[in-house]
Amino acid sequence: MNALDWRASWRIARRDLHLGFRGLRLLFLCLFLGVATLAAIGSLTAAITQELSDRGRNLLGGDIEIAMTQREARLGDKEAFRQLGTLSETVRLRAMAQRAGQGRGDAPPAILTELKGVDGAYPLYGTLALKNGIYSPLDPDHILIGDALAQRLDVRPGDRLRYGTADFTIAGIITDEPDRLGEGFTLGPVAIVSMDGLRRTGLIQPGSLYAAKYRIRLNPRFDAVTVRTDMEKAHASDGWTFKDKDRAAPGANRFIERMGQFLSLIGLAALVIAGIGVSNGVASYLAGKRGGIATLKVLGATSADIGRIYRMQVGAVALLGIGAGLIVGALLPPLIVALAGDVLPVSPGFRLHPLPLVTSAAYGLLIAFLFTFPPLGRARTQPAAAIFRGAVETGGGLDRRSLIAMAGAGGLLVALALLTAREPLFSAAVLGATAAVLLLLLGLGWAVRRLALLAPRPRRPLLRLALANLHRPGAQTAALIVALGLALTLFVTLAGIQTSLDREIRNVVPEKAPNQFVLDIPSTSRDRFRAITLEQAPEAQLNIVAALRGTIVAYGDQRVADLKELPEGAWFLRGERGVTYSDALPQGSDLTAGQWWPRTYAGPPLVSLDEEAAKIMGVGIGDTLTVSILGREITARIASLRKVNWDTMGFNYILVFSPNTLSAAPHSLTATITMDARHDAAMTRALLSAFPGVSVIGVGDVIDQVGTIMTQMSRAIVAAASVAILAGIAVLVGAIAASRAARSYDSVILKTLGATRWQILAGQAIEYGLLAAMLALVALGLGLTAAWFVIVRIFEFQWQPDWAVVLATLGGGALLTLGIGLAGAIPLMSIRPARALRQL
Amino acid sequence: MHLPIDPATIAIRAQDVTLSLGTREAPVAILKGVDLTILRGESLAILGASGSGKSSLMAVLSGLERASGGSVSVGGVDFGALDEDALAQARRGRIGIILQSFHLLPTMTAHENVAVPLELAGHADAFDRAADELRAVGLGHRLDHYPAQLSGGEQQRVAIARAVAPRPTLLFADEPTGNLDATTGATIMDLLFERQAAAGATLIIITHDPVLAQRCGRIVEMRDGLIVSDRAA
Repeated sequence: MNALDWRASWRIARRDLHLGFRGLRLLFLCLFLGVATLAAIGSLTAAITQELSDRGRNLLGGDIEIAMTQREARLGDKEAFRQLGTLSETVRLRAMAQRAGQGRGDAPPAILTELKGVDGAYPLYGTLALKNGIYSPLDPDHILIGDALAQRLDVRPGDRLRYGTADFTIAGIITDEPDRLGEGFTLGPVAIVSMDGLRRTGLIQPGSLYAAKYRIRLNPRFDAVTVRTDMEKAHASDGWTFKDKDRAAPGANRFIERMGQFLSLIGLAALVIAGIGVSNGVASYLAGKRGGIATLKVLGATSADIGRIYRMQVGAVALLGIGAGLIVGALLPPLIVALAGDVLPVSPGFRLHPLPLVTSAAYGLLIAFLFTFPPLGRARTQPAAAIFRGAVETGGGLDRRSLIAMAGAGGLLVALALLTAREPLFSAAVLGATAAVLLLLLGLGWAVRRLALLAPRPRRPLLRLALANLHRPGAQTAALIVALGLALTLFVTLAGIQTSLDREIRNVVPEKAPNQFVLDIPSTSRDRFRAITLEQAPEAQLNIVAALRGTIVAYGDQRVADLKELPEGAWFLRGERGVTYSDALPQGSDLTAGQWWPRTYAGPPLVSLDEEAAKIMGVGIGDTLTVSILGREITARIASLRKVNWDTMGFNYILVFSPNTLSAAPHSLTATITMDARHDAAMTRALLSAFPGVSVIGVGDVIDQVGTIMTQMSRAIVAAASVAILAGIAVLVGAIAASRAARSYDSVILKTLGATRWQILAGQAIEYGLLAAMLALVALGLGLTAAWFVIVRIFEFQWQPDWAVVLATLGGGALLTLGIGLAGAIPLMSIRPARALRQL
Repeated sequence: MHLPIDPATIAIRAQDVTLSLGTREAPVAILKGVDLTILRGESLAILGASGSGKSSLMAVLSGLERASGGSVSVGGVDFGALDEDALAQARRGRIGIILQSFHLLPTMTAHENVAVPLELAGHADAFDRAADELRAVGLGHRLDHYPAQLSGGEQQRVAIARAVAPRPTLLFADEPTGNLDATTGATIMDLLFERQAAAGATLIIITHDPVLAQRCGRIVEMRDGLIVSDRAA
């Protein structure tokens, strides 16, 4: 027998397809939701990275940048820079701004700022925008300040500000600092002075913690990446850091790419979960078409014809869902940018980004193929008589060809996820965990069906019906369990993470943190500093340490510059880190291996290393570390390993050297002061009066910043989890819709026999209640495990959830899902038995 | 000339009953003013072709459907004054309904299916009575079988057992043999009349089969939503 041709198949398929996709709306919705999410995340990530790249020159302030800390480039080096093009020099440091004169009553005496000295060539690219007026190079007596600084100190143009030993007249208010993002993390508002002005302050001293940056607008014959790479090789041991315009803000780039990947994976996991809804939606659609399929078969349609007709219908709706998802996903980023405000590093305009759209479409197609294949395959291969007999014979195996096709689609899906991932291992772990949770819930669904079947039959008819609904042929138990289980698990996970983070901020930090951090104390003034602080607050506890900056350039025989990629978690190998020396084990550290050097040690350089860092680098006691400090390479032998308690918020260093190694190098001291909070203002005034160059950082400012970052992280997690919860709800709605025909039938018969509407609703409530109660326990286990993993393993915080909130959230989530389930039963209550019986 | 009827002997009284289905904009008149009085213990056949309105009349008389107009009183209770749930409660234990397609609950055994109306009516011995009733219809050996495991005739027997188990005063049967072959159909009808007699119920059979109608004491014929004849068999 000849098979129907494609045109004839499409004619039949189109005739049978409802314009409003009746019966296939769940398929449309699930694919739309998943693809729109993926496309939106992908497009937003691409838009931001593109914007960072496009504006790279402005963000960096040059085509390339060479940076160094605690020192400036030598004259010879500067001359070499000038050979490459136009040079602009800036020096940046944290410094206290004081109002010279009377301010608002509640204005603080001084606040921490980011003071930047710029030369006449600044900015090489972009414009330094001012509130009133146009920027021109400053003379040594004038200063430009950020709006936040003006507001906090209650100053305006014309007022005077003091930095160190110099006073400045405010020349204008900065509205846009072109290279702000390229400067990285900042603790306070910005202020800009000329280089001569900066030197007037006396803040630049040997050992001061400042960063000198040299930006170059390259002559046209030079390529930025080539110049950067050549310089990195030539100055590998100088401790300089290099950037080019293509990665002007590597921190922001890394953050956006990681966040984008994380959210994409959550989106993909949501799409996989929505796949269950897709499968159910198509299965119930085909169940509704059972009569038509059987009739077509009776009239001579082959399995291939049936397969093609319904694949065309499902494919058409799937393509429309994916298409709509792509359109919305492409249009969403500008809206997200507008809503996000200052959270995003840049605000890109609207532009189409084909790659994420193509990837999202591919995911959508593969998911649609993978999850619609089983129901379509069964409809294709079942004999007409079996189809006529009805839902009792749903299920059954798939033929080998279908199984191979599905395995191929699954393989392609995983391959696509791994090939487009920045960190394939992480992606594989997330996908694996998603698959494991899905399989666990599906397995639970199977077990519940078996248990319901084997359980003693309750005497009460509604309870009996509720139990029977869990195992009847065509029961949606597995889908209900996946949907309910997933939603409840996510509720518990979010509650666990949120409450643990809240407590971390609220309890642990203030309890352990000192009141103030003081930076840039002259190294010769240790005793004077101690005397002044104790005079202000006799009970104050001080921790004073030496502060230098250094770059790990080699561990063992491995040069860091030769690594193709940094080992996982080796953030400390990226650029400069704080280093110190000490004759005793620092506060907040526990010795875990080796021995601390004697107080009077005078031998070859020794270093004590954080045990986590040692593990990541694969080094141990007796191995060597080479660190570039102030441009000089120092090779030290590892004498001990320490466990650093990062959450003490004291001065925690990965590298602590023996004093004889570094005490002669130019450096400053930093200190923490723990005291009664009422001394804070007086202490700041006394310290600034005695040491005009020091920076005093209130712990409150740091906690506010940390709190802001944590809140943003929480929001991103909630946003990502919401997509998965939405997918779970879509599956739930689909499962309810799929079982509606069977439930309608039962309701009509029960009504005919005298059951009231409330009794029918109670029957449904018993069924969903049974499931929700059982799944609450499973969700508690799974959700707490996931939350614990995020808090303890990813954030490395203490696990301290608020159990009352977690349990209340779980209860609320269970009620919500129960409510959604019962809302699906409400239409059953209004079915008029006589009319329904006519159609049964 | 009509003889006066003692109200205590009336099982059902329908006066000028109308029923419209479809949308408000395009209503379809199904019943167009039906007057009918059925006495206790009567066996009555409502005869008519497809679309004559006989099944709709049964739905209205049994409380499955509310009339659009007119009044329906069953056992002295005005159905027009009852809402959906009150109608369901009115049916409990008092009205048994047998349908052409059996309409058993597929997830329950024959025993459980028959027990459901007894349980809804609050009988403590629901399962014992259900078993007795199934034995009475010759299915004592099929108690634990599911509907899918029973033949059409057996399923209809379960449906009869389910309808008569609560000892209803009114028994409706809508084309009870429509899905059965002639021999099985005849057996089922014998059984139905036997169980009616045992229960002492009023029996109303909806059918388009004149031979089956002849087995009842009274025949009401319908056409186009109206009763066109009402005579003794």
